[in-house]
Amino acid sequence: MGAAARAALQQRKGDAMHDLFFLPDWPLEITQFPWFAVLVLLAVAAGEAVQRYARLPRPIGWIVAGMLLGPYGLGVFGTEMLGRFSGLLDIAIGIVLFELGQRVDLGWLRRNPWLLGTSVLEAALSFAAVYGVLMLAQPSALLAAVAAAIGMATSPAISLVLTKELRAQGQVTERILLLTTLNCIYAVIVVSMLFAWLNAEYRGGWLTVVSHPLYLVFGSIALAGAFAALAHGALRLLGRRVDAQYITVLALIVIAVAAASLLKLSVVLSMLAFGMMTRHFDRQRRFVSLEFGRLGQIFMVLLFALIAARIDLALVPAGLAAGAALIVARYAGKVLGVIALGRWSGLGTRKSALVGLGLMPMAGLAVMLVHETASAFPEFGPQLLTVIVAAVAILEILGPLLVQFALVRAGESHGRA
Amino acid sequence: MGVHDVVERLAEAGPQGLAFRQSAPLTLGVELELQLVNMRDCDLTRAASDLLEITERKPHAGEIKPEITESMIEISTSVQSRHGPLVAELREIRAALLAAADKLNVLVAGGGAHPFQRWSDRQIYDKPRFRHISELYGYLAKQFTIFGQHIHVGCPHGDDAMYLLHAMSRYVPHFIALAASSPHYQGVDTAFDSSRLNSVFAFPLSGRAPCVLRWDDFNTYFDRMRRAGIVESMKDFYWDIRPKPEYGTIEIRVCDTPLTVEKAAALAVYAQALARYLLVERPHAPHEDAYLPYNYNRFQACRFGLEGEIIDPHTYAKRSLAEDVQLTLRAVAVHARELEAEEGIAMISAMVRGEGNDARWMREAYAATQSLPDLVYRQAARWRGTPG
Repeated sequence: MGAAARAALQQRKGDAMHDLFFLPDWPLEITQFPWFAVLVLLAVAAGEAVQRYARLPRPIGWIVAGMLLGPYGLGVFGTEMLGRFSGLLDIAIGIVLFELGQRVDLGWLRRNPWLLGTSVLEAALSFAAVYGVLMLAQPSALLAAVAAAIGMATSPAISLVLTKELRAQGQVTERILLLTTLNCIYAVIVVSMLFAWLNAEYRGGWLTVVSHPLYLVFGSIALAGAFAALAHGALRLLGRRVDAQYITVLALIVIAVAAASLLKLSVVLSMLAFGMMTRHFDRQRRFVSLEFGRLGQIFMVLLFALIAARIDLALVPAGLAAGAALIVARYAGKVLGVIALGRWSGLGTRKSALVGLGLMPMAGLAVMLVHETASAFPEFGPQLLTVIVAAVAILEILGPLLVQFALVRAGESHGRA
Repeated sequence: MGVHDVVERLAEAGPQGLAFRQSAPLTLGVELELQLVNMRDCDLTRAASDLLEITERKPHAGEIKPEITESMIEISTSVQSRHGPLVAELREIRAALLAAADKLNVLVAGGGAHPFQRWSDRQIYDKPRFRHISELYGYLAKQFTIFGQHIHVGCPHGDDAMYLLHAMSRYVPHFIALAASSPHYQGVDTAFDSSRLNSVFAFPLSGRAPCVLRWDDFNTYFDRMRRAGIVESMKDFYWDIRPKPEYGTIEIRVCDTPLTVEKAAALAVYAQALARYLLVERPHAPHEDAYLPYNYNRFQACRFGLEGEIIDPHTYAKRSLAEDVQLTLRAVAVHARELEAEEGIAMISAMVRGEGNDARWMREAYAATQSLPDLVYRQAARWRGTPG
């Protein structure tokens, strides 16, 4: 074959390639691929599987999927890739906190002040109990206090999602949600105060001890107030049409989360307060009770899976015993706190104990606070980290089961999770 | 559906039939079934057993009892003979109930039906009789999440009770129209003033009692029904008015629960004054023929309330219910005075002279905001006795 003929053939081949212009280039360019959808898919499958075959709440499947697929499990999703989902994660966190906040009725605390007492006592006792256990393992009282403060908070996502999955109604349900909201608020405030204290200890400057928590609390409340006012303005225009409210509020949530991070305010405080104020100042009851429905469900799956993926499972074996001790102490504190004032607050001992059980889950909020503490204060040390991470890992799995148990035993669940 | 199991069992028909317990004539007892709704979106909520746990801790006036679903609660008064003490007792029970409800962040509301609940969300109260009803009637039991007022009127003798029951049937449309407070159901305006009674109609033994006038004959009828296996006890009859032999009363069951205790008391003394008029003056001898327009009149009352047109069973004259009530009020005025019931009767009079019934109030309240949750919230405020 002559050179000319070869060139002609080449030419024709090139034309053929050109004819198939619609095929993708090889190797495939996959940086744009929506891997989060794959994660959702696998997590949902796991959720359905545990529900069908083990009769466990679906969120356990989402969590296990996240743990297995994440960087500390099989490593299908690396840390870098998970980092790219952080935008979605923020939205999911915003939705959970807002929804929980708008469910909580501040008027209830006024009508039944014993509940506020219960809430403070429950948080204080669990703080004290966890602090006691950690002091055995950790010489620094302040750092142990940070960990104990983190332990006051119940996972907002788990209590909210489980009560919804079970379509639970009643006192145990309502009180779990109310006490969860309040103990999350306490935890964030106390942790920020301890942070400031630690800052003073390590880096000097007593001004921060006072001003940082104040900035967080009042800044978050101001931000929430501004967004609640925006929401009410929008509701006045939109009326009660559910679809319009849904879209508006979702957009406001996304913006509010971004604003809170931008201003270095607490996302947790801001979003809970945003939800509470939107409900509380809704004098005309324009605001229909928002359930984020199917779209919300996708975010919840992502939230559970992504948070679980961030738990360093390698730490669990070493911290297992101490973590279990922490869980027992925390449980004792929470249950005693709820039972102690149960009668006066209008709930019998049995159901109060179930409320205490329902406050056990720890998950995203704890993981975030632990990471924050560990990166801000290397002094936090591997020992404390190990104990907390182990406890959170156990409660991620055990928590949903305990909430389900509590709601079913209280006779408040309707259908199965 | 009152729930007086112990009394019921004691009074269950023996071989000699149902014994009619004597009771002082013209005494009254009022039962009200109430809605328990949450503060958040005003949907029905599961709260009855938790409420009862609190109310049972210390003594209170009257009785507070569970009903078929966890979203209902029933209050009942003791035996009363005068309007004043009746209102006072109802207010005391209300106070006890509201104190408990406040602790649990639950609202209590009147009204014959919840305007937008989904019946499939209801949970049956855990008690053998309710579980039995639920199994027997299936979805009807859950749809039976409707709320009525029952008025007991004491009768000295079983024969008087049967006379009064049938004489009173002529006035059943009055009670339906005056008490009507269930215009919305499952999220829509039903066009009825009382949609609640349509739910009762689904039950096989609803409607009116057979026209037997002597207690012995009624016993024969009941015994036949029982031997045929159609009923087990009096509770299986869901009649508009039924005898309650163990109390020595007849029980008027067509009223929707009004939005206030004051209106509930007014309806009760209207029944009392009517009963006195019927027992003393005996204007018509009861007869099957008088039942000719019964279902027609009943429908008119349910559908159009006080604007409904009913047919007089004796003269076949047509007039509006508001007019018919006004005529009746004139006839019973002297008896109302005798019973010191004027205050309650004045409320009834105001209703038929333009104020209208609770269904009208509810439609107007809904028109103002176009929100059914907001309507329920206002119903609860009205029940509490604070301006909504």
